[in-house]
Amino acid sequence: MRPQEAIRVLLSSGPGKAGIIFFLALAAVSLYAIVAYPLDFGLRFWNNPAIWADNPRNAPPAWSNTFTHLRRVEHTTFRATEPAAVIPGAGVETRLYTFDLDYRFEESPAFTSFSLRHLTYYSRPPLITLSLARPDGREMLLYRHAVRGPDPGESPPVSRYVEAPLRVYLSGDDTVLWNIADFLGREFEMELPLSQLRGMVDEIAFGIPGGDGQGFRVLPGDYTITVAVKVYHPQDSISEVVFVLGGSVYGLMGTDTLGRDLAVGLLFGFPIALFIGLVTALLATTMGTLMGILSGYQGGKTDIFIQRFCDVLGNIPLLPILIFLIFVLGQKLMLVILILAAFGWPGLTILIRSMVLQLRSGQLVEATRALGASPWRIMLRHIFFQIAPFVLAQMIFFTPAAILAEAGLSFLGLGDPSIPTWGQILEFGFRTGAVYAGYWWWVLPPGLLIVLTAMTFVLLTLGMEPVVNPRLRS
Amino acid sequence: MNHLLMLEGVKMYFQVRSRFFGSLAVKAVDGVSLEVKRAETLAVVGESGSGKSTLGRVSLRLIRPSAGRVIFDGEDITAANDAELKRFRKRAQGIFQDPFSSIDPFMNIYQILEEPLFIHGLGNSRERRRLIYEALEEVKLTPPQEFAPKYPDRLSGGQRQRVGIARALILRPDYVVADEPVSMIDASSRAEILYLLRELQDRHGMSFLYITHDIATARHFSHRIAVMYLGRIVETAPTKELIEKPRHPYTMALIEAVPSPDPANRFRERRVIPGEPASPTRVPPGCRLHPRCPLFIRGKCDVIEPPLIEVMESHYAACHLYC
Repeated sequence: MRPQEAIRVLLSSGPGKAGIIFFLALAAVSLYAIVAYPLDFGLRFWNNPAIWADNPRNAPPAWSNTFTHLRRVEHTTFRATEPAAVIPGAGVETRLYTFDLDYRFEESPAFTSFSLRHLTYYSRPPLITLSLARPDGREMLLYRHAVRGPDPGESPPVSRYVEAPLRVYLSGDDTVLWNIADFLGREFEMELPLSQLRGMVDEIAFGIPGGDGQGFRVLPGDYTITVAVKVYHPQDSISEVVFVLGGSVYGLMGTDTLGRDLAVGLLFGFPIALFIGLVTALLATTMGTLMGILSGYQGGKTDIFIQRFCDVLGNIPLLPILIFLIFVLGQKLMLVILILAAFGWPGLTILIRSMVLQLRSGQLVEATRALGASPWRIMLRHIFFQIAPFVLAQMIFFTPAAILAEAGLSFLGLGDPSIPTWGQILEFGFRTGAVYAGYWWWVLPPGLLIVLTAMTFVLLTLGMEPVVNPRLRS
Repeated sequence: MNHLLMLEGVKMYFQVRSRFFGSLAVKAVDGVSLEVKRAETLAVVGESGSGKSTLGRVSLRLIRPSAGRVIFDGEDITAANDAELKRFRKRAQGIFQDPFSSIDPFMNIYQILEEPLFIHGLGNSRERRRLIYEALEEVKLTPPQEFAPKYPDRLSGGQRQRVGIARALILRPDYVVADEPVSMIDASSRAEILYLLRELQDRHGMSFLYITHDIATARHFSHRIAVMYLGRIVETAPTKELIEKPRHPYTMALIEAVPSPDPANRFRERRVIPGEPASPTRVPPGCRLHPRCPLFIRGKCDVIEPPLIEVMESHYAACHLYC
């Protein structure tokens, strides 16, 4: 059967169609993940705590708000590299970075933080103020900071916050407490001791007094956060201004116990799962097919040697060997793939050999030998093509096995730590007790994705069946 | 030298392990000597299991005989190495019985015909194209431009067999083994294929070893007939002579078995030999035919194996009646 015909047969069956659609979706997501993230994502991002420092821990996905009676704060990060407006003055210039926040939640934020990265100034150190415009029309000055002046011996341009950014948790900063106390006295004529204000900053900033004189209730509406930087030289620069509204629900897929964005981890798992499955299947079927053809066609001692070797290899228990070799040689993904491929081919070889034995005594091989063709030509150009549909089906069938094997190994804690896989996300969840704590968003999606990927290939195999077995063709 | 191909005392035994201890040999060909002359068609006729196909395969050196020699154009190729065999294969080709399984379904006609040229490194791509189109025209698959890109599943059995013939003849071989080339083809196309082979022989002067179970087609197609029974040649003679004056009881029975369209023969009893041929693993002693032979001579036929002797000029038979 020719390839066009095979594809037509594949597409004519329900499972085949579904398999193709799923596979294309997996491939598209994988492609996106590879393009959007660097290949050393695991080391540079996933396993780097600094990246996730601002994120809430164990936060469910943002859409889970739909199912809860209380609308919880969505974790939001505002970033700006360019000021939204510049107010010129005499020898001074005020740069405004503004962030608009539509606050529709029924609780105060878990925390708010402000940070600033890589500031350079040429004459006087800039002055930074952070203020909040509230939906009730009140203006609230939260934070004021003067950048440290030049050290002795230091001459302009002076750079600050290059390696470690200026990071301020508003609820823990004394200037903020003073400003809050001032705001309460001026606007609501409330006097609260500083010790009591500490820890209530976010509650006060995003709320109004409850009326009983003590508590505050949430004030929903449109807030504007303004970061004003007063600079004294036009060449002064700031590379990034960040404002984080600490929430208790996060993004599309929530976070794990390190605050890592699970959506990103799961996304990066797509290309890895496909890579593991397809590369292992490709290696194992190539080896199995070549050995099977050689064994069946050459016969004699070659045949006996290959078959006995397959018997031995096929009967070695794979899991203990895998665990042992990974302990000895280290937790590397390529090692897992190679071992799975090295132990995966014998079954196919035995099958292919029996098919080749039948073909070898057929008239096609006889006729081609009579033409003077070399054994290699007969094996690769004629025999291989006869069994190719079967080999392809076997390869597709082998793919989920490899994906599941890798997930299993990762789950046993034998995954490659530099490359996040779905199996490892699951393993981390189990190790840190996410299952018992009921963090479903952490455990269910990687499990379901593994199942979905395996199912895609099983569907493809089902669709391939009529190609391999012509009697099933309608 | 007039003989293109000579087989000398060829034996082909296949080992089969049928019992727990020891093994049995299937004596498919058991001491056959014959020769094919240039531009001659020699038909080998016999029942299934008589070893005629094995004989054809030995003569193409697709299998190596257990004993005896295969001599092609004066050169002993019994133990030829790969390079010698490749040279031999360029000059000796086969046409096979099953037009459905003997050509690759994954190749189109052009690729199928290009393969022998490719294997033997003949011509550049333009010359190959010319040779392929010529070969298609010769086997009357015209217009060749239309047939060349087709895949075999678009062709009928007869057309496929023409492709098989074109593939065998594109190298302009001197010797062609046609192993039952028409037995799996519709009756309507059989004569056409045989006439085509005859026509190609007249044009190019190659020799055919025509293997068949059907003495009627052998009669029309061959110059000489050799009758085989249980791995041995029992009679060989020029076609006309053999059909008209068969000497061996087995040949007589084979000719008797051909249906005749004459209604006067309706109630005539045919002298067909009874029974089935013996198994080639347990060949009867003496004359192989003796358990079935109507002219069986006790004490002679079941003891002494009759030699092939010349009963008339170039007419040989192996039977005690003529010793």
